[in-house]
Amino acid sequence: MITATALSQGKYRPPAGLKELRDFLQAALEVEHFTVPVYMSGMYSIRPGANRFSYDTIRSVLMEEMLHLTLAANLLNAVGGTPDVARPGFVAGYPARLPFSSRSLPEIPLQNFSPAALDTFLLIERPRALVPPAGGEAEDDEGWTSIGQFYDAIRKGLIALEREQREQHRRDPAAPATLFTGDPRRQVGPTDFYNSGGEAFPVTDLKSALLAVEVISDQGEGVADTIWDSDDIFFGEQRQVAHYFRFKEIRVGRRYGAHDLPRTGPSGPLLDVVWDEAYRIDPRAKVAHYPEGSQVRAQAEFFNRTYAHLLALLQLAFTGDPWVMRQAVPVMLELRDLSQRLYRNPHPDRARAAQGIHASPTFELTEQHFVQARADAAAKAAASPTPEEQHP
Amino acid sequence: MTVTTTGAQVNGRRYDVIIVGSGWAGSLLGRQLGRQGWRVLVLEAGNPGTETWPGYQDSLDTFNVAPIKVPNAGYRPNRAAPFPDVLDLHAVPGGYTSTGHFVQTGPLPYGTDYIRALGGAAMHWLGAVPRMLPEDYATRSLYRYGRDWPLTAEQLEPYLQQAERLIGTAGNGAEQHELGVVPERDYQYPMEEIPASYQDGVFHRKLTGKEITDPVAQLPYTPKVYTLPQGRNSTPNPLFDDGRGYRPVGAVGLPNFGERCVGNASCTPICPVQAKSSPLRLQQDFTDSVHVATRCVVSRVLPGRGSSVRGVEFREYSDPAAPVGTPYTAEADIVVLAAHAIENAVILLSSELANSSGYVGRHLMDHPTFLAWSRMPQAEPIGAFRGPGHTSGLECFRFGSGRKRRAPFRIEIGNWGWGWATGAPFSSVGSMVGLGGDAEGEVKADGLFGPGLRRRLGDELNRQVQLQIAVEQPADPANRVTIDPQRYRDGLGNPKPILHYDLDTRVRDGVYAARRVAAEIFRALGAEDFTDYRVRGDIPPLGHFRHRPEGQTEELDLGFHGAGHGAGTHIMGAQRATSVVDSYQRTHDHPNLFAVGCGSMPSIGTSNPTLTMAALALRSAEEIHRELTSLHHPVTAARQPVLEAAQ
Repeated sequence: MITATALSQGKYRPPAGLKELRDFLQAALEVEHFTVPVYMSGMYSIRPGANRFSYDTIRSVLMEEMLHLTLAANLLNAVGGTPDVARPGFVAGYPARLPFSSRSLPEIPLQNFSPAALDTFLLIERPRALVPPAGGEAEDDEGWTSIGQFYDAIRKGLIALEREQREQHRRDPAAPATLFTGDPRRQVGPTDFYNSGGEAFPVTDLKSALLAVEVISDQGEGVADTIWDSDDIFFGEQRQVAHYFRFKEIRVGRRYGAHDLPRTGPSGPLLDVVWDEAYRIDPRAKVAHYPEGSQVRAQAEFFNRTYAHLLALLQLAFTGDPWVMRQAVPVMLELRDLSQRLYRNPHPDRARAAQGIHASPTFELTEQHFVQARADAAAKAAASPTPEEQHP
Repeated sequence: MTVTTTGAQVNGRRYDVIIVGSGWAGSLLGRQLGRQGWRVLVLEAGNPGTETWPGYQDSLDTFNVAPIKVPNAGYRPNRAAPFPDVLDLHAVPGGYTSTGHFVQTGPLPYGTDYIRALGGAAMHWLGAVPRMLPEDYATRSLYRYGRDWPLTAEQLEPYLQQAERLIGTAGNGAEQHELGVVPERDYQYPMEEIPASYQDGVFHRKLTGKEITDPVAQLPYTPKVYTLPQGRNSTPNPLFDDGRGYRPVGAVGLPNFGERCVGNASCTPICPVQAKSSPLRLQQDFTDSVHVATRCVVSRVLPGRGSSVRGVEFREYSDPAAPVGTPYTAEADIVVLAAHAIENAVILLSSELANSSGYVGRHLMDHPTFLAWSRMPQAEPIGAFRGPGHTSGLECFRFGSGRKRRAPFRIEIGNWGWGWATGAPFSSVGSMVGLGGDAEGEVKADGLFGPGLRRRLGDELNRQVQLQIAVEQPADPANRVTIDPQRYRDGLGNPKPILHYDLDTRVRDGVYAARRVAAEIFRALGAEDFTDYRVRGDIPPLGHFRHRPEGQTEELDLGFHGAGHGAGTHIMGAQRATSVVDSYQRTHDHPNLFAVGCGSMPSIGTSNPTLTMAALALRSAEEIHRELTSLHHPVTAARQPVLEAAQ
């Protein structure tokens, strides 16, 4: 979260030059990834078999966040930048501040499936239109107010910088004709990544870049003051309500009807949500809390190593070998199994176990994790056939 | 969106087309004809439900809790529209008995089942879509057995491609071209082939270059592993459709959930992530002029003036547990029976239609499937129970002059251990735990539990190799479906199918050859052969027979299972006297009555028949469209211009 945190502390402004644009896009990667451990905790802490609709809903949001991560990487690569996802600074230390949002918001913890967790999710996905107006002396009128605003800034930046670049090229034909000079082979496309909600498409010019930004915004916040995303317009898929409204449905226990508006709340069929059917966890759980030599500790450490491995594979996929993405999918499924193994076990600490608290993954990643992960990922990639080798 | 309707609402109304059955054939026809603006009524005998997400989850739950995992384990019985289950068959001294939907009178059991529900038997299909060989269409001309098609593979080619697209097929075009079933070397499937399993790789390594002799065909063969084209979501092929690519179709009932195959090993009966294709995908895209009514069991096609038919009579029930229905009728310009080979025959026989040849119900076919099973040596696991039922096969025994001596067969390299043959892994647990006691009726002393059981299971299950060998059965008029409404009726009063089934000498020779070839393959793998069809006590295994082909010295205990490929019961041909339908699946006797499905196929070769059936259905859809267009052609008063003078 290094880049995003640094930028958040500054004033609201669109990126001014190429270097700053690349920083913004690296921050976008961090922002999109920020939600992954949060939503994973909410999802995998549901007792298996229970709360199916909620599970499938959170899963669908998570899959779309992975798409956003991929599109952000495509954007960064398209403008000649280099994604950097396999390092400790990439993963937030939870509880963590939501980037590009008001300081008055509480920090975001890792929570089990619960009304509180859903409230947190709603906070994260809150559309700009529903952000309460800044009030009170503590607010900085020039600061960032929402992630939607952040992407709007990127959008403005892309348009302005592309226009500048084209003008520069007109004056000096030796200068690049466009902002989008990145190697197209670095783009991750639909053959490499499939998430079923929307599609990973290559970013090659301003049009596809703006589309990528719009997809990220619309899937989260909804299109222009409606509850819907734009999957039907962009991808020919059935449209769904945007992330914020999917979470609202779970929180309220009711589906949206076709004519509901953002401010009216859901008025469709009732939804069955049983909050008790979830493992309760300690949001501040750390590996150090689990006794040395215990199986829970070993699994918690294994989880963190595996998570680092996933990021290392994504790093390879985002920096020239998009087909390595296929190796990442089994690791994601492995993380599911490792999560559930931890959640099933009561917390090793007697006092916490007496309160009904269970063990949980901690997402603590150190440089040591990444050193090992990078080596393992490289070995795995080297051992798997490239697309050309598979289909000569 | 599917427009649903009820029997009561359509009672007495007239449509352009009535389609009986909502499986692959019915759904393809519904899709095509609806898109062309025709008003279509699809009548499905079974329950709806799986097209919604909770309904699909319910099927999944039903499957998960079923004690015995058979193809229909995910689908509840339906007293109003009953369908067969493989569990209806029981081995008894001297042979078998059959309970349930089928009445069986033949020397051997017909072991194939289907489902009557929205989506039809396709709800439990494996998803295998290999093509028939060009020579399969002309076995009488080439090999002097069976029947020739009135069509060639070449004529079906555009429809096969269209079917592959509509079903959503993953395959390797270069391999299939090498096999001789697709026309171009750079043939592109919509999606890349489902990855071959680890076991496929082991077969490839150990069998490449090895010669296997088939002692019955008296020919040497060099088996090669070919991946199977499958109707299952995989990586989209960017080269498909001249570079336009392909977008895999997701889950029905839950937007944006659809997954690509992730290796769940339960395709039959149900795919937990809806990677497997089904007719429900086509149905959700039906145009508004297609109306679907479920729980409507057609009992009769109603005759019209002259030789035409005017519609159908059906009963609609509201509770599948109570066989109580209300009778209704609906009329149409064209009636299409797409209710499965066996149910189509029952409807035609009940209606006393289309049978001037006497062939309705005859030529009942299946792919008698011989199972052979073995175990790899310790330290050479092959990773069973992962991925689709089979991802590759050995194709060489399907072709060529060996077919003059014995039925050809296709060897499927099974990925699910000894599941089909012995009921593994459940049977493995049972035998290791020591279920059933010893000869004195005491608890077995050497039963395993706990970590020891887990280790042994993990070791043994991982080394289980099973070959599923589908043998071609030619059209034999003695194998047939009949009805006897006086004696055998189901709950709603419709006649039950009475089956008479047997395997002729050519097929038994083929099964014998398959057994011997399997033994050699296992030897080449270094695997210990466990294949065993011997009689236990006095009870033979289901499908058991003893056989010795001419020229062989050893008589062997053999057996077979049903593959789920019912066919032949309204056979296709050019002559009215010797067939029921023509090449468009129009019945010879009634110009506006079509019987579509595998029932039309004069031969089924050695490949799963769905793709060929789908191609035939698409070809029929074109013909039906032409027929309807000519019926609706406006009449003009203007005289025809005189062309003869110009000639």
